[in-house]
Amino acid sequence: MSINRQPYLDNIMNRFKGNVVVAKGSLENEIYISTNKENLDDVCTYIHKTFQSPLSSIICNDERSLNKNFTIYYVFSLPDKDLFFIVFIPVSEQQPDFPSITPHIPAAHWYEREIKDMFGLEPVGHPDPHTLVLHGNMPANTYPLRKDFATNTRLPHIESKLPFARVDGEGVFEIPVGPIHAGIIEPGHFRFSAVGDTILYLDAKLFFTHKGTEKLFEAMPYTKALFLAERICGVCAASHATGYCQAIEKVAGIEIPPRAKFIRTIILELERLYNHIGDVGNVCIGASFLMCGSHGFRMREHIQQLNETICGNRYLRGMITIGGVRFDIHDDLKKHILDLLDRVKTDFKELVEIMFTSSSFLDRIETTGRLSLEHAKGLGVVGVPARASGICRDTRRNHPYAAYSEIDFDIPVYHDEGDVYARVKVRVDEVYQSMSIIEQCFNKMPEGSIKTSLKEFPPYKQALSYVESPRGEDIYWIMTAPNNMLYRYKVRSPSFCNWPSIPYTIPGNIVPDFPLINKSFELCYSCTDL
Amino acid sequence: MTAEIILPILQILVVVGFSPLVKGFINKIEARLQCRRGASMFQPYYNLVKLFRKDAVVSETSSWIFRATPYITFISVLIISLLVPVLSSQVPLNFTGDIILIIYLFALARFFLVLTSLDTGSAFGGMGGSREMMVSSMAEPAMILSFFTVALTVNSTNLSNITSTLLNNSILLLNPSLILAFAALTIVLIAETGRIPVDNPFTHLELTMIHEGMMLEFSGRYLALVEWASSMKLLLLLTILVNIFFPWGIAGGLTFSGLIIAFALYVVKIGFFAFLIVIVEMSFAKIRLFRIPNLLGTAFILSILAVISLYVVR
Repeated sequence: MSINRQPYLDNIMNRFKGNVVVAKGSLENEIYISTNKENLDDVCTYIHKTFQSPLSSIICNDERSLNKNFTIYYVFSLPDKDLFFIVFIPVSEQQPDFPSITPHIPAAHWYEREIKDMFGLEPVGHPDPHTLVLHGNMPANTYPLRKDFATNTRLPHIESKLPFARVDGEGVFEIPVGPIHAGIIEPGHFRFSAVGDTILYLDAKLFFTHKGTEKLFEAMPYTKALFLAERICGVCAASHATGYCQAIEKVAGIEIPPRAKFIRTIILELERLYNHIGDVGNVCIGASFLMCGSHGFRMREHIQQLNETICGNRYLRGMITIGGVRFDIHDDLKKHILDLLDRVKTDFKELVEIMFTSSSFLDRIETTGRLSLEHAKGLGVVGVPARASGICRDTRRNHPYAAYSEIDFDIPVYHDEGDVYARVKVRVDEVYQSMSIIEQCFNKMPEGSIKTSLKEFPPYKQALSYVESPRGEDIYWIMTAPNNMLYRYKVRSPSFCNWPSIPYTIPGNIVPDFPLINKSFELCYSCTDL
Repeated sequence: MTAEIILPILQILVVVGFSPLVKGFINKIEARLQCRRGASMFQPYYNLVKLFRKDAVVSETSSWIFRATPYITFISVLIISLLVPVLSSQVPLNFTGDIILIIYLFALARFFLVLTSLDTGSAFGGMGGSREMMVSSMAEPAMILSFFTVALTVNSTNLSNITSTLLNNSILLLNPSLILAFAALTIVLIAETGRIPVDNPFTHLELTMIHEGMMLEFSGRYLALVEWASSMKLLLLLTILVNIFFPWGIAGGLTFSGLIIAFALYVVKIGFFAFLIVIVEMSFAKIRLFRIPNLLGTAFILSILAVISLYVVR
């Protein structure tokens, strides 16, 4: 499916004349536009405003061994066409700074701070100069993602204090929460400024478990890197694996067999199902509605046991592989899947009916934790929270991958709501959609092989890959190196986009409602802190 | 003479010994209703044994209050267990105190718990303490007024007299003011013992805690004592409720057969009310913190109506 990209190119070329150059050799739906530091802000703002295209990712790459520069790529995705604009600028080592686009495109704020921490390039004009990923306990001039930083470097620990914004005034006090929490979740520090139980301001500090995942990719052959990609996060294993495989397949220019596409779709939807049903249960637990919570977990368990029958583990690992899928789904397994989904569907309908007719539960979730459309758009929120706030954005529809272009499905969007209730409703609707997608896949699935083989791919080639995980849009960017190694693999998870929006939903709510709001976003720490 | 020795021992055995079982029973039934297998009914006992064996960690910044509170809490609840008619309408400490002392002893235990929650300077403790005070400032008036309604009906504040009078004149229980007082006390019981929809005793989310928030800093034997005291409080409030409003079966004297029948009926009655708590906990989400005043306001209004109707009906 090719898109006519010429009108867009003409539009940009007319506006910026000689200041931009369209790079040759771009892949089918990616347009690489080269510009310089002076024009960066204008070009990005123009693309962002004119085509209404949200910022999807910002990738910094240490290309000093190739062209003596760092390169920063700004990825914008068109909302109505399957097309990405990738604006890039060179940044030299001698002058390690780049203009910040955050004042015009607020969604860029975390990316730019991340680049500052990991590469030591200064975003000039960024409104928030604090570090994001590194916590100040690292020695100065430590830039982990530069190529000259060895993976096995041992760093001394430096005492430091985290800076927090605070509210002054009579009766205002601070509640520090975390980074270690009760329950088995990952670390995050939240600092509330509150009067009584009413929250005035929330400052969150994440990135406590930096694992150096992106750095590890750079020393790996592509076959081995699949296993690392799959383990970026536990509950999005299939999405991360699909994203990685698609990137490799795109670079190598291979097409996977149609049957594999459908099986991938089924696996991805099963992942969405067990996540969404579990998350609905989790919101009930957050509101102390224990009975519904338990039943949510029970259904999630059924689906995870199904996952185990399909691929031998509960988290759908090891199913998706480069060039297709590892195992076929035979007829008796197909029958088992459809039977189980049928049972879960009946139970889930009953659960939803109980939840949405319980006035005490509705009272907790209605109007709680509102994310306005303006904030959601400005901060580039993706996935369930975006759809609950009125943004119709779903990678499965905007940039179809796997077999999604051949499937009918609706995208639930709730306008003017954006509260916990709306996020639960989006999840509930998507559960039914996922079940219908799986049924359609089984009906349309052709016979044939499930895997094509891939031996080698060209070096120094770049490609973008995208997956709608249960939490939202995942964007992956790959650059290959010689000898089937990876030069850079950048993962932008939906949680990375959505975390900054949580503090905006909190003020005016009360402290005991925070866990509920947080659960309705259901963000992943591991995906954020790679 | 033997009766005076046997009764307090028996009463303490029942209240202290069986209170963890009530919690275990509630937890077990709730698990079954959630399609879970759940822990054994005796799990609260195992927890207590485990906690008594463990070391207690005490914050360096805390004062003597922190170490004294578990004992004060436990002992005040222990004294209450001697002021409440459990199996017999006779009360061991009949001569010292009445229903008002019970209210004060509950308040004393809570006062020290709240002080301790501030003592260690932890953010969650202070939050739990202030919320507990907010809840109790509204639950207590409702409790006092409901108790007074009962006391005014039988012209005595002594629980022993109240129970035996109501047992002998059961027709009094049909008095609308007593029914209103019963309704008010039921709401107060749920709030005072920190059950859903007011507080969630099962939660691990520190930010939502009320009662548990105050207990976060306790460990080892201190935690065991505070936990035990809170399950005794639950059983005692249930006992007061069933023995005032459903006194049938309670032993008048101290005969062996009378006590056996009383015990059997007591178990049935407490079991039934514990089951009602389970039903309430399973059918509601926890209400928003700022809606708790509405709920307790209802209890307060019911108790005021109870007092007023006492004079109107009479």
